[in-house]
Amino acid sequence: MTNLSAVTVEPPRGRAGWRSMLPRWSPKLGVGLALVGLITFIGVIGPLLVGDPNTIRDISLTPPSGDFWLGTTWTGQDVVAQLAHATRGSLYIGLMVGVMATVLSALFGIVGAYIGGYVDEGFNLFSNVMLVIPGLPLVIVISAFVPADQRGMWTIAVVLAITGWAASARVLRAQTLSLRNRDYVAAARVSGEKPWRVITVEILPNLLPLLASQFVFSVIYAILSEAGLSFLGLGASNSSTLGTMLYYAQNSFALQREAWWWFVPPGLIIALFGCGLALVNFSIDEIINPKLRDIPRRRKAEVSKVAEPVSRTDDDVVLTVNNLSVVYQVETPVHAVKDVSITLRRGEILGLAGESGCGKTTLAYAINRLHRPPAEVTTGSVTFHDREGGDIDVLALTPGELRAFRWSKLSMVFQGAMNALNPVITVRAQLDDVLTTHRPEMTKAQRKAKCEEVLKLVGVDVRRLSSFPHELSGGMRQRVMIAMALLLDPQVMIMDEPTTALDVVVQRGILREILRLRDEIGFAVLFITHDLPLLLELADRIAVMKEGEVVEYATAQDMYEQPAHPYTRQLLDSFPSLTGERGAFVRSGEQMTPVDRSGEPTAFGGVR
Amino acid sequence: MRYYARKFGFYLVALWAALTLNFFIPRLMPGNPVDILMAKLAQRGGTVDPSARRAYELMLGTNSSESLFQQYISYLGNMFRGDLGISVSAFPAPVSEVIAGALPWTLMLVGIATFLSFAFGIILGTFVGWRRGTWLDSLVPATTVLSAVPYFWLALLLVAVLSSAWGWFPLQGGYDILLSPGWNGEFIGSAIYYGTLPALTIVISSVGGWLLGMRNMMVSATSEDYVLTAQAKGLRDSRIMIKYAARNAVLPSVAGFAISLGFVVSGAVITEQVFSYPGIGSKLLQAVQNNDYALMQGVFLVITVAVLGANLVVDLLYAVIDPRTRVSG
Repeated sequence: MTNLSAVTVEPPRGRAGWRSMLPRWSPKLGVGLALVGLITFIGVIGPLLVGDPNTIRDISLTPPSGDFWLGTTWTGQDVVAQLAHATRGSLYIGLMVGVMATVLSALFGIVGAYIGGYVDEGFNLFSNVMLVIPGLPLVIVISAFVPADQRGMWTIAVVLAITGWAASARVLRAQTLSLRNRDYVAAARVSGEKPWRVITVEILPNLLPLLASQFVFSVIYAILSEAGLSFLGLGASNSSTLGTMLYYAQNSFALQREAWWWFVPPGLIIALFGCGLALVNFSIDEIINPKLRDIPRRRKAEVSKVAEPVSRTDDDVVLTVNNLSVVYQVETPVHAVKDVSITLRRGEILGLAGESGCGKTTLAYAINRLHRPPAEVTTGSVTFHDREGGDIDVLALTPGELRAFRWSKLSMVFQGAMNALNPVITVRAQLDDVLTTHRPEMTKAQRKAKCEEVLKLVGVDVRRLSSFPHELSGGMRQRVMIAMALLLDPQVMIMDEPTTALDVVVQRGILREILRLRDEIGFAVLFITHDLPLLLELADRIAVMKEGEVVEYATAQDMYEQPAHPYTRQLLDSFPSLTGERGAFVRSGEQMTPVDRSGEPTAFGGVR
Repeated sequence: MRYYARKFGFYLVALWAALTLNFFIPRLMPGNPVDILMAKLAQRGGTVDPSARRAYELMLGTNSSESLFQQYISYLGNMFRGDLGISVSAFPAPVSEVIAGALPWTLMLVGIATFLSFAFGIILGTFVGWRRGTWLDSLVPATTVLSAVPYFWLALLLVAVLSSAWGWFPLQGGYDILLSPGWNGEFIGSAIYYGTLPALTIVISSVGGWLLGMRNMMVSATSEDYVLTAQAKGLRDSRIMIKYAARNAVLPSVAGFAISLGFVVSGAVITEQVFSYPGIGSKLLQAVQNNDYALMQGVFLVITVAVLGANLVVDLLYAVIDPRTRVSG
């Protein structure tokens, strides 16, 4: 069993309530707890109910019968009685090692990471060294030096704990490092709380699921390792565990004599116990990383045709969204987009504004059918009016047609400054695969020329083609994103908060670029942002969304001069001007030119 | 380049730590292994020459008046010359010779089995994670059963069924003992035939861990923005799965190789015991059973060096597949 969770760990919610620390009920958890409970019962209560496991009888290797449920051993001992005592022994070792290894890993992982500096470096180096030194050979060597008569359970447990804590320490360290920098921990430190108090009160509770998972992991590791050691004849002497039981069974040739009732049950108990613990661990992992939760099985029909497409009214329109509704089909369905109708004209910039969670991104994704389950389009239609003639009913496209439609007719610009570019392949590869997929007839040289052409269009040095995303600045990544969107000369570009994570100067440069390219190439833009003042300056028309509905839909000019809906006014008022006063934007914007077609916005966010 | 320097530095420290552990363990334990060894040697009719005793003393500790530090320095010197002493159980062969004869068997068996297990686990995990929400999800709990089974128990059951009962595979050994070892087709064929079942048991018991790790990372990776970008780009599903999701999701599995390799090697020691395979794990146990401390220490060192070396190779490989490590180290 490998433990690779070091990197998967999601930052847990701040000072989460105890409720979120408890696993969610699921069949997996139920089965896991039942298995663990049953075997613990056998180990704890079993020895009280069965006879002496060491009683030797003259009935050798009798098969299971009414007297001996699981038969007898080579020397006529009752297998059930042996099993009960051996289970107790194994659980005991598992528990001891689990506790010791967890304490050690907490010491080296949490304390080191909290203190930081050289202590952390030292502890981390020590953990990593312990991690790469192979455990079992080390255990064998140590055990071999301890004379057999001094090799009790405690010796074995201590040796297993010493060789088994390092992986957990690494996981805990990574998590502690991320917790250490949280605001509430910093606040506690600044307010002068003692380090041990910060660790136990502020940090430890958030690490509990992780600690629990590492504890469970150590227990499995200990029971399996002990069994392996015993099998090699290096287990705890004068004690009985499932491992020693298997050792005796194997050395009496139980399998060769077909005495499966002696050999199979001990292994099965270990397997079921380990399996039960692993299932419990799944549930704990789901607390740590909610992405791993079970999702309902996929429906067969991904999209059902919900409405007739709208045929074009005039050639000036490129995209019509009619009465579109998107619902997140969870326990209580959430209507993220309610009955939205918008039209996008050729070469126009349509702004879509609203606060986070208003459904604007869901709407944008649904237009390109990028929404993921449980989101589902329930009503309405999306029609693309192709420049070559013909209307495309986007919601009715087959998967193959949809792939061909995407990017060549309608491309998207995500927040490139964030994670929208694949971090491990070059910019060239990411531009190139668009062309190899959509334009298979292009030669390598043609593709290279095209990639260079679009990079030049957005003002990025063509040498950047061989760069990886992390080597580019945020603004440059955003330009690369736009270059990528231009590759296939699309008629519509959906831009989802393309400038949000950038600083104002870079943001301004990018916006200027978008306007210039729109003027040169003539694609239409659906521009999504929470920044309404920015749209007033950039967009031709603006739709303001609130709670899934378009509450106001007007030209930028009209919205600037007389915002009709109270929510629009609220949005405009909520942006402070740099000169101080709240809401100064609307009232003092007398110099504003809402749309400057020259591509040089004269005012920016209401402030020069 | 800082990345490489750091890695080399780390493995040097790890190597030093292993050597030091090896030096101190016998000195911290009760009993006097040197006397046991010398007695054994005498039993075998070996002449107890002073240099052999000196090598043992350096390795295992002694009552001599030499200071611990001096012993330590001389011990390190011996290690660098590859002088690991004389094996008692294979008298009068030097430990280094015994190990050299056994090492290739283990390297081949464990190397191939580990590679297959890793490859299967990653490929299966990629599919299971990508096709999340389909019947493939039920594979996940199934793998945990496999990982929770004691390895030797499973292997012995497989031997009982596949070898004893059905006779598909030989019961034990590394090759047909009627053949003499050499680089000829017959011998290599025999070695492959004898190695299949041991390799199979290693793959079965370790593939689940890789599968689960990869599946979990795939689940995380498929919700990343770059996968969404790839979908919006209209790329084929297979390409998105491999170039975008799996390419990123595999990184932690490669990085986690260090943790797993220890488990793999541990498994191999037991594998060789189950199948009486002529590898280095058998030598370790032979040494333990015969109180051949010199051989035991030597095997431990060689295993550790091999694991460290494999990890170093993986770390260097990691730098190739994750461009970010090369700059930030």
